[in-house]
Amino acid sequence: MASKSKSRWADDEADAALEAQRKKEKEEKKRLKAEKARKLEAERKAREAAVAAAASTSQQAGDDPDRGPPTKRRRISPERDEPPQTSGATTTTDSSNLLRFEGGKFGRSRSVENYDKLNDIEEGAYGWVSRAKETATGKVVALKRLKMDPKDRSGVPVTGLREIQILKDCDHRNVVKLLEVVVGDDTNKVENIFLVLEFLEHDLKSILEDMPSPFLASEVKTLLHQLTSGLAYLHDHFILHRDLKTSNLLLNNRGRLKIADFGMARYVSDPPPANLTPLVVTLWYRAPELLLGETRYGPAIDMWSAGCVFGEMLTREPLLQGRNEVDQLTKIFELCGTPSDETWPNFRRLPNARRLKLPPRPTPSSVRAKFPLLTTAGASLLGSLLSLDPSRRPTAHEVLEHEYFQQDPRPKAEAMFPTFPSKAGQERRRRRETPEAPARGAQVSSGMDFGAVDFGGIFARREREERGGGFSLRMV
Amino acid sequence: MAHMTNPLATPDQLFQRRSLGALPMELQDMIFFSTQCLTQAAGLLLQLPQSVTAQANVLLARYWLVENMMAHEFSVRFSSSGLSLSPNDEPKKLNGVVLQDVSAATLYLVAKLSSHPVSPRDVAYIYTYLLSSCSAFFHDPSSPPPPPPPPPFGPETTTTTTTTSTPSPSEKNTITPYLSPAAYQSFHARLLHLEGLILAALGFDTHVALPHPLAITYLQALDFFSFHKDGGGSKEAGKKALAARTVAYLNTALLSPQVLYLTHQPPALAVAAVYSAARDVGAKMPECEWWEVFDVEREELGFLVVGMRSVEGWGRKMRGDMKEVMGGRERGMLMRKDVEGELKRRGLMIVGDEVQNGSKMMVDAEEEAAKRLDEKMAEMESG
Repeated sequence: MASKSKSRWADDEADAALEAQRKKEKEEKKRLKAEKARKLEAERKAREAAVAAAASTSQQAGDDPDRGPPTKRRRISPERDEPPQTSGATTTTDSSNLLRFEGGKFGRSRSVENYDKLNDIEEGAYGWVSRAKETATGKVVALKRLKMDPKDRSGVPVTGLREIQILKDCDHRNVVKLLEVVVGDDTNKVENIFLVLEFLEHDLKSILEDMPSPFLASEVKTLLHQLTSGLAYLHDHFILHRDLKTSNLLLNNRGRLKIADFGMARYVSDPPPANLTPLVVTLWYRAPELLLGETRYGPAIDMWSAGCVFGEMLTREPLLQGRNEVDQLTKIFELCGTPSDETWPNFRRLPNARRLKLPPRPTPSSVRAKFPLLTTAGASLLGSLLSLDPSRRPTAHEVLEHEYFQQDPRPKAEAMFPTFPSKAGQERRRRRETPEAPARGAQVSSGMDFGAVDFGGIFARREREERGGGFSLRMV
Repeated sequence: MAHMTNPLATPDQLFQRRSLGALPMELQDMIFFSTQCLTQAAGLLLQLPQSVTAQANVLLARYWLVENMMAHEFSVRFSSSGLSLSPNDEPKKLNGVVLQDVSAATLYLVAKLSSHPVSPRDVAYIYTYLLSSCSAFFHDPSSPPPPPPPPPFGPETTTTTTTTSTPSPSEKNTITPYLSPAAYQSFHARLLHLEGLILAALGFDTHVALPHPLAITYLQALDFFSFHKDGGGSKEAGKKALAARTVAYLNTALLSPQVLYLTHQPPALAVAAVYSAARDVGAKMPECEWWEVFDVEREELGFLVVGMRSVEGWGRKMRGDMKEVMGGRERGMLMRKDVEGELKRRGLMIVGDEVQNGSKMMVDAEEEAAKRLDEKMAEMESG
């Protein structure tokens, strides 16, 4: 329905009046600005005069303490009464541009009494986690208590110390931050050790369990991209996480994912040392080479776990839920096919692979068939992450470059992420009064005149927007 | 960058050590020096790589900037009576082991975090041996009796201990260091207790970046390994000498009373060691200000070179001074009682320290008796 009246955008008297007013306001603003500048100028002049006067007096008095030679070396006696010198003044005088190495400092741990416990979050195999508030600042943090086994004769558990050291060394947006380590109040005995971590509202596992509808394809991409960039950082720094799973991936209400729980993590050399324990990673996320007893493994085991997490984000169900090691391996072979010398050279030399009875003809991978809703690029990425042969799995950097992230739908901006009620923050899901979805097969109401409204513009440029999951065709 | 940087001591921490310590400075230095040497010796006997032992040295130095030297020793004395060694040697070692628990605990802690963990039992054996009178530790080479090798420690002897001690049975009547189960239990308890204290004092930051690998990289970067004009021997020997000298400077700096590892970052230490070694060996250095390539200032380099080169002479003098404090004992570890005796001689009381720390430290009767016995022992030894 085309309107025959004058265009809405044509000029008329009202527009002219508005224009005139706008001009007037502009001029007024200009005048104020000029006046302000004049005032500033006057002030500056006055200040300069004062400084000049001060300089002349100080020159008479001898040399000026503020203008003495800049201190280059670290001072080794504490400053007493002098005002702290600005760091800018000391660095600019260096003729050559030398890199300063900042390593921070060391000092005694604070007491846990600086925090008020709010509520327990969870108890893991490795420690208790609770939500707490720093008394002085009101900042909400997560307190993770290291489990100390009094029967353990080797003292502070080495896993805990490794976790602390690794987290201290890490600084990445997708790795959870360790704020400090505090100890129990009794300073003579160190029995209670608490890691103060930044608090994130969710873990991916409970979100996946509770969310009413699965993540959109764009959201899965964002999450996977964040997970992989965190992993790329860790692997670049020679850290293996060794326990990636959805419950160890935290998510805040701004759509930021962070890798947490480094209780299994460790530094490794490249090439990896030969004596690593294959008893790492939660069973459902454990790579096949670990199940076969490999002791010389590398970052590829984390990539396998990332593949499992990827699959879980798509289906909201853990991908491979084995009951025990053997069953887990069966499930893996069911999904990814059985290994052969072509798909996984030399797998027979692994300790547990020698007795393995495999069907004479290797079966192909069924990843593509199991994820019919995934795009071809997505399926190829998932399939490569779930390669039986660790050397065929892509590195974290290769995943980040994968075309899956370039294709539509593009990864959703973190800021656009939906929020969820936080279990850890003890929030409840609020039920809103919303109209029910129409029942299937209900009659279209006939009283409304759709011809009266112009819908022409509302879907304009829609094809340029980021597309969510929407509806897709089933392929099988 | 973490592999190249260390947390450094703050000016306040350094100042406190120099001014508020209950002990006179030279005694502090003496304790520092002898304990660092003890750690090195234990690391050798435990067959730990120097990278592990050096880290333990650095952590120990950090710990003593946070914690008063004498304070922690009081706090770990709780179960010293459980430690019984061979009867006629008891008091001395009883005191000594307790005094040097810190060394054992740091070494144990660092080894645990490294790829070369050691068992508490090995640590206990090694320290018992090192502090016994039959060890070669701090043995003056000019004094006549050659140190007998450590005898095997009984059925639980590990490979570590046997391989380091070349088992040549000595006919001389030496006291066998023997660690009773009860003694071991109490040592173990103290070790773990102290480990926690050290961790808490350091804020659980056990990160230590060592300058050694950097120094080798710098030598390579400067092409010292290819264009080296050496004095006498072959070219290969010259290169070796240069690298060895560099590493020697770095290792010696661990003992420095100036705690160079806590005031300077690894690149600066590495450059200073390379510079000193090249000077010693006579290798030709670039004409330009090459240290700036490694982000080290001339002034800092000068300070470190002087600091590093002075440690050797200072250490020699320290050994002489120690002998004095130890009442003429020719060898062995500086003991806690030595420090206390020296304090008494100077008319300084340790009481001040106790009051300062607010701890209800009473010199219990047992300790007194042990000390008296000890003094008698010393008399018998010297007489």
